[in-house]
Amino acid sequence: MKLLGFLPFFALPLAFAATKDIKSQLVSLAATGNCVIRLDASAFDLLTAPNRDWSASIHFTALDKRRRCAPCKEFDPAWNSVAKAWATVPAEQRDNHFFATLDFDEAPTVFQKLNLASAPVVWVYGPTEGPRASARNVPSKYDFSNGFEAEPLAQHLSNHTPIPIPYKAPIDWARWITFISGLLGFALTLRFIAPVLQSRWTWAAITIVTSLTMTGGFMFTRIRGSPYTGADGSWIAGGYQNQFGQEVQVVALIYGTLAFSVVMLTMIVPYQTSPARQRLQVYLWSGVLMLIYSVLVTLFRVKNRGYPFKLLL
Amino acid sequence: MSTAYPLPTNISPTTVANTASLLRIVAFGLISGAAIASRLFAVINFESIIHEFDPWFNYRATRVLAAKGFYEFWNWFDPTAWYPLGRVVGGTVYPGLMATSGVIYNFLHYFNLPVDIRNICVLLAPGFSALTAWATYMFTAEMKDPSAGLLAAAFIGIVPGYISRSVAGSYDNEAIAIFLLMFTFYLWIKALKLGSALFGTLAAVFYFYMVAAWGGYAFITNMIPVHALVLLLMGRFSGRLYVAYCSWYAIGTLSSMQVPFVGFQPVRTSEHMGALGVFGLLQIVAFASLVRSHVSSKQFQNLLAISVVTMGVLGAGAFVVMTYKGWIAPWTGRFYSLWDTGYAKKYIPIIASVSEHQPTAWPSFFMDLQLLIFLFPAGVIMCFRELRDEHVFVIIYAVVASYFAGVMVRLMLTLTPVVCVSAAVALSTLLDTYVEAKEPDVPEERMEANGSSAPDGKKTKKAGGAVGSQASTTAVAAASSAISDFVSATRSSASTPRQKGIWGADTRLVILLNAIGMLVFFVFHCTWVTSNAYSSPSVVLASTNPDGSQHIIDDYREAYYWLRMNTPQDAVVMSWWDYGYQIAGMADRVTLVDNNTWNNTHIATVGKAMSSPEEVAYPILRKHDVDYVLVIFGGLLGYSGDDINKFLWMVRIAQGVWPDEIQEPNYFTPQGEYRVDDRASEAMKTSLMYKMSYYRFSELYGGGNAVDRVRNQQIPKVGPTLDYLEEAFTTENWIVRIYKVRKEDTLGRDLKTANAFAQGKKKKRSKPVSRRRAIV
Repeated sequence: MKLLGFLPFFALPLAFAATKDIKSQLVSLAATGNCVIRLDASAFDLLTAPNRDWSASIHFTALDKRRRCAPCKEFDPAWNSVAKAWATVPAEQRDNHFFATLDFDEAPTVFQKLNLASAPVVWVYGPTEGPRASARNVPSKYDFSNGFEAEPLAQHLSNHTPIPIPYKAPIDWARWITFISGLLGFALTLRFIAPVLQSRWTWAAITIVTSLTMTGGFMFTRIRGSPYTGADGSWIAGGYQNQFGQEVQVVALIYGTLAFSVVMLTMIVPYQTSPARQRLQVYLWSGVLMLIYSVLVTLFRVKNRGYPFKLLL
Repeated sequence: MSTAYPLPTNISPTTVANTASLLRIVAFGLISGAAIASRLFAVINFESIIHEFDPWFNYRATRVLAAKGFYEFWNWFDPTAWYPLGRVVGGTVYPGLMATSGVIYNFLHYFNLPVDIRNICVLLAPGFSALTAWATYMFTAEMKDPSAGLLAAAFIGIVPGYISRSVAGSYDNEAIAIFLLMFTFYLWIKALKLGSALFGTLAAVFYFYMVAAWGGYAFITNMIPVHALVLLLMGRFSGRLYVAYCSWYAIGTLSSMQVPFVGFQPVRTSEHMGALGVFGLLQIVAFASLVRSHVSSKQFQNLLAISVVTMGVLGAGAFVVMTYKGWIAPWTGRFYSLWDTGYAKKYIPIIASVSEHQPTAWPSFFMDLQLLIFLFPAGVIMCFRELRDEHVFVIIYAVVASYFAGVMVRLMLTLTPVVCVSAAVALSTLLDTYVEAKEPDVPEERMEANGSSAPDGKKTKKAGGAVGSQASTTAVAAASSAISDFVSATRSSASTPRQKGIWGADTRLVILLNAIGMLVFFVFHCTWVTSNAYSSPSVVLASTNPDGSQHIIDDYREAYYWLRMNTPQDAVVMSWWDYGYQIAGMADRVTLVDNNTWNNTHIATVGKAMSSPEEVAYPILRKHDVDYVLVIFGGLLGYSGDDINKFLWMVRIAQGVWPDEIQEPNYFTPQGEYRVDDRASEAMKTSLMYKMSYYRFSELYGGGNAVDRVRNQQIPKVGPTLDYLEEAFTTENWIVRIYKVRKEDTLGRDLKTANAFAQGKKKKRSKPVSRRRAIV
């Protein structure tokens, strides 16, 4: 009978041994998996064991082709590079935080259990024991609003790791080489393209194209990432504060045509040498001006429904 | 010489000149009148009232300045803003606007004209718009001639892009800044043209005024050096450039450092380094050209060239090292976000949250500039044709400003002047060409070749060979030969001047009627846009009754006056930062945060309180001594600028500081929708903002469906309950709702328990009383 009373005391070191055991198991898993643990349902339970003195960031994804998860593919390299950066940390810190990936097709039950309906998702499980133990037992979720890049991910995860992740963005050699070779090429051909560069009309073309694209709302589509056309194939976005990529082209073209007809009327037509031809051009470009301007106003009426004016159309 | 229409012959040139100048004066008077009058819609439709948000602070500061004098204003510490931190107003404000109104106020009172300071503030922007028209006239006259100047003045007088920031009551820095911008540019062009140190100094003085008036002065600080640099690169260095730039830079920089808010920034931040760098470069180039003119030895000239290049490289290197070492501050976030457009959203959500910092879609351009937007490129091309030094300025301005206006809606304001100038140049050139009475002679050899297109085609082929327009031989003569004409016109600008002119009266009439028609349309457009879109004070709202009459919605002032009359003088009111200035200005109460968003953490604290459950928010409120909480709710009326629509920004800003406690995805449904009905997420439903917005909302509909008319969603019948706050006041249309923060229970109970007890509910034993946790 007394022996039974002692049993819990024996069980205690056993329990410790068990967590130690799990941990060493995890460490070896991480070592084999190139610093990312490939999880299945049972490994997931090991990693998120209720009494753990380690933390873990888990990446839920669906990389299989059938799942057609484009963001998953986009995010995967960033995740692996951050995990690789973590592998360079000294062992005593490294073994307190694990990186793991769980693919939907390897453990769909886990997805069901966690009520996950989308991928990719990154959850961080904090430690429940030990010096870093936190009161919150719910995993914290990584917010993808900063995009799928590695840099913000490493920054966010560093809040949960024992020491910050020593992630450094890799040097983009391709970009540097293109840049330098472009520069060299420019320097070499400078002699041949110098007349072009010194021509004011080259610069005029650059200036006009720039200002036309800018006033066509190019920066809006870039910053907001609006699509080229709508999902239903329409090229003009409803609403005054919105636009598609194709609208930039159409509007810039309209502005360009209108400006061109004004330029023709002032800079070309007066130099005509025959009265009849000049008269024809005057009427032609005036007609173009009125017609395209009417088109522009009609287009604007589509965007701004309350606009009360219209021209020919 | 034949003319298209008869010209009077018996008028002396002096009469013509005098009449022209009289007409100019009359036209200019009419333009000023139109510019001022079109800005008075707001006063006529509503009343003489300060608009929007920032103007309320400017107005409050101006009142202090007018009542207590300049030195008192300079040393003003405002303990009621950013409670409990306070704000050193004198050192954190651009005082130019207030000083201007103060001077006008004292001037009028000196002559015993007792004009109220409010009316001066309300009418300052329209008054300065007339001055802007004048400055634009002067500037454009330098580009082309006074007639183009008059067109530009008329354009800038009524163009919505400028009116949007300068209607009566829009008492903001931009009200005077655009005048200063244009006038400084005019003086710079004048200084450059004449090589005059006097005009350079005047440009520096107005630059100083600009620095004192608006943070956008950095635009001048960079525009002028870029212009100087481009002139250098084009090989147009001259003594005039040297004198103009150096006098502007030296005096302008020294005087700008006298503004306390700017201080040593002109020598320490990257925004100003371009100006310094060009200043240094000009010294080197001037030195080199001086030495070169005195020595002849080939070796020495080589040595000189090498030493100049070395000096330039060393200077650039020193600049890089100093930036790296931190002696020169890097770009400020606000400035940096113009280049890296994703930067603000990531690191400074407060900047990204402001609606006027959003990128501009094309309808905004057309709305604000209408026909000017396509005359603008034509005008730029005409600048390229002449390409004098001042035209280079307009070209650079056009490129830079159109980029900036595309990135941020508010920078449309800097684009507008150059668009007006450039469009005026284009239109005035067009009108000059077609108003001119003289007809060119019909060349002999062209007369007989008139009907057949064969000689035309041959000529086309010869001229158009450069661009390889083979097709032009067969195409319609009028259209295709245009290209070759274009090429030959651009080519021949240097060679013999070709005969230029228009035949016939009908062609003139077509163009003139067309132009007049477009201008009339422009006037109608501007009037419509100004009266409909830009003349709302946003403090007072208007809607239309079924019979077409106007219905005024005055909830904001109702709420602010309630606060003023019913709460103690030192009551602390918490609201989202948008309303801080208005509360301080109209209700005269202490605020936690306001539109001077200098302290991100403080704003995030308010955001956290708004987006947390009551139990979490209450300790925050108590620690900040908050007595009242004010929210804007548009659900009843369909007013879309309310706090629930701004709520995500509060969450985002709070998340930036407390990423563990506040997380944006929690406020969306699992499907990723932003909902407020019964499918709303748990975090949304328990948040203080949601509760305050919809508290007792469904009661209003009796048993019927309570529908939020902004988001078109049905609000649950059983609305949220409040334990730590109580409703104090709700305005007529429910736009402003004010809640009083309860004091701690006198018996030391948790307020939730106390409430439950008071309502006769049994105390639940099972659930332990939630402990109040200290916030970090």
